[in-house]
Amino acid sequence: MNLRINFSSGVPIYQQLMEQIKHAVETGAIRGGEQLPTIRKIAEKLTMNPNTAARAYRELEHEGFIEVRHGSGAFVAERGASSAKAAGIRRAGEVLRPAMEQGLALGLSESELRRVFEDELSRLQDDSTAERRRN
Amino acid sequence: MNDIIIAADGLSKSYDGKPALRNLRLEVPRGSICGFLGRNGAGKTTTLKLLLGMLRRDSGVIRLFGEPVDSEASSIAARRRLGFVSEDKDLYPFMTVEQTIRFTRPFFPGWRRDLEEKYLDLFQLPRKKAVPKLSKGMRTQLMLLLAMARGAELLMMDEPTSGLDPAMTEDVLQILADLAASDGTTIFFSSHQLAEVEQICDRVCIIDKGQVVVDGVLDDLKSDYRRILLVFEGTPPRELAGLPGVDHLRQRGRTASLLAHGDVDALVSRARELGPGSVEVRPVTLKELFLDHVRGE
Amino acid sequence: MLWYKAWLETRWRFVFMLGSILLLWLAPQFLPFFGFRLPPGVPASRAWLGLHLGSILLYIVVANFLAGSGVNSQTTYAATSGFHGSMLFTLSLPVSRRRLLLVRAGLGAFLTGVLVAVMAGYTLFQRPGGASAFDALEYIARAIACTMAVYALSVLLACVLDEMWQFYAATFCWIAFYLLQSRFAVLAWLSPLRGMSLISYPVTALMPWAPVVASLALAGVFLCTSALVLQRKQY
Repeated sequence: MNLRINFSSGVPIYQQLMEQIKHAVETGAIRGGEQLPTIRKIAEKLTMNPNTAARAYRELEHEGFIEVRHGSGAFVAERGASSAKAAGIRRAGEVLRPAMEQGLALGLSESELRRVFEDELSRLQDDSTAERRRN
Repeated sequence: MNDIIIAADGLSKSYDGKPALRNLRLEVPRGSICGFLGRNGAGKTTTLKLLLGMLRRDSGVIRLFGEPVDSEASSIAARRRLGFVSEDKDLYPFMTVEQTIRFTRPFFPGWRRDLEEKYLDLFQLPRKKAVPKLSKGMRTQLMLLLAMARGAELLMMDEPTSGLDPAMTEDVLQILADLAASDGTTIFFSSHQLAEVEQICDRVCIIDKGQVVVDGVLDDLKSDYRRILLVFEGTPPRELAGLPGVDHLRQRGRTASLLAHGDVDALVSRARELGPGSVEVRPVTLKELFLDHVRGE
Repeated sequence: MLWYKAWLETRWRFVFMLGSILLLWLAPQFLPFFGFRLPPGVPASRAWLGLHLGSILLYIVVANFLAGSGVNSQTTYAATSGFHGSMLFTLSLPVSRRRLLLVRAGLGAFLTGVLVAVMAGYTLFQRPGGASAFDALEYIARAIACTMAVYALSVLLACVLDEMWQFYAATFCWIAFYLLQSRFAVLAWLSPLRGMSLISYPVTALMPWAPVVASLALAGVFLCTSALVLQRKQY
């Protein structure tokens, strides 16, 4: 498993670590039932804070993505690996791809396209929170 | 259990009438690595010296390991459980590495020979070499060794990596991360290097002009704070600064840049009502957080 | 282990001063070799007396050289200006400031005493003015006692000053005191400088009790003040 954290980004480090581990499972670098490195190993290998690493594991456990067995370490959950989410991510990629291609065809650069995407996403979130408030 | 290792409240200190610390509040929980940030003269070293009993506070309370530190005896009891690495890493010029260790050992009943040997080997410190002949990196390593081998529960450091090359800095960070992971040692250090703080700290405390301006779990701060960029047709409306959750507002031409925390979604909806042409919400890095808080408007 | 630090801090100074004193001891043996001879009719012990006049200065230098507060560490003279980083390390140790002072000042006082005894010890071999062995021992004892006043003042100065300034300040103090004692008889009567000097001894063989008592009292006052200063000082 090749973990890489961008410490200076604005994205919380524990979230980055969670994403990386999920990604490793999705790509098959690590499979269901397999053991994850200990928190201490992660902290040492990435030279990062052990509490932050522990938080990532806690959140992953909470999501049911990993199972922490006391005394023997953390393991990727069987259903975590084969979760509907992985399929969902694949499906979303298929849906979004033509839209992105169209955007590029309109002459937008990659970063402009990303900004449009994020802008729309946040607008979507705003609308949904406004919706909730109205109800 | 005393889970707050360092607790200070209402801490004030002035030098010749000039306030250096004003009503400082600080909490470092057990096992955390807390980065202490601020500009030069913000009061970082003063805070460390107050915690160690080198300076007397004008007012406020200090608790270390849950015990109040209000006399020399209580300060000594606390110092038995902690290690300190000063900024210039100066040790006695008339001692060798070995003599420095032999001198320090008897002060600490919990001294661990195994750690002493381990770090001597790891750092490859020349035992017979006189302290003034050591490089700054080696002196840092020796000070770390002295702090770690005593079995300290708390490590306080004043700019531990200042004057070290990048490789040596990485080694020091590695050791600190390892120490926190294996022994649960609480680490509190001041620094100018935002990158190293981001890398190994789970908590940060930013002080400016003797007061705490940001304090908390680094990842929570990153989730909590947002930069909101708004572009208007004309000059951005004045109401922006008064919106709830806005920490700082900067205007350049038709663009307004907000640093905000809390309910950012609500803030964005409120800002949208002011009719901007575009709204962009970005995550905030520690560097932005630091600069926005310590730079005067 | 504070004594260990104090010893490592002072040992080369001690050895250096011991060497200097032994060299002075040997000087009268060498002088004829270089052509210096006493005028006919003057006893050899007079040469020692001349040497002795310089010894008060030496006591002051020794006391000053070995004095320390236990907090500021002594280094070489060149490196003493400004801030001592090792001071912060000392203060971060779990030990009281009073103990730091006690051990450092105690060892320094002991070594100063040894050096003064060696220096004054020549009176045992070269009885100037035909003094008895008991007189000589008495002289050694009072030289040590009176040097302690000088030593304790230097300790007090070391609590607040850098080493270089400590040296200048102590020198200034004793020069000023010397000038004052020549104006005021009371000061001369109590003067540690008079107590250290050999002058009264071969002539009158009277023990100058007043300077001895005054010096010890003064040393006590200086040391107690040092402890108070150190306790209140902020670093």
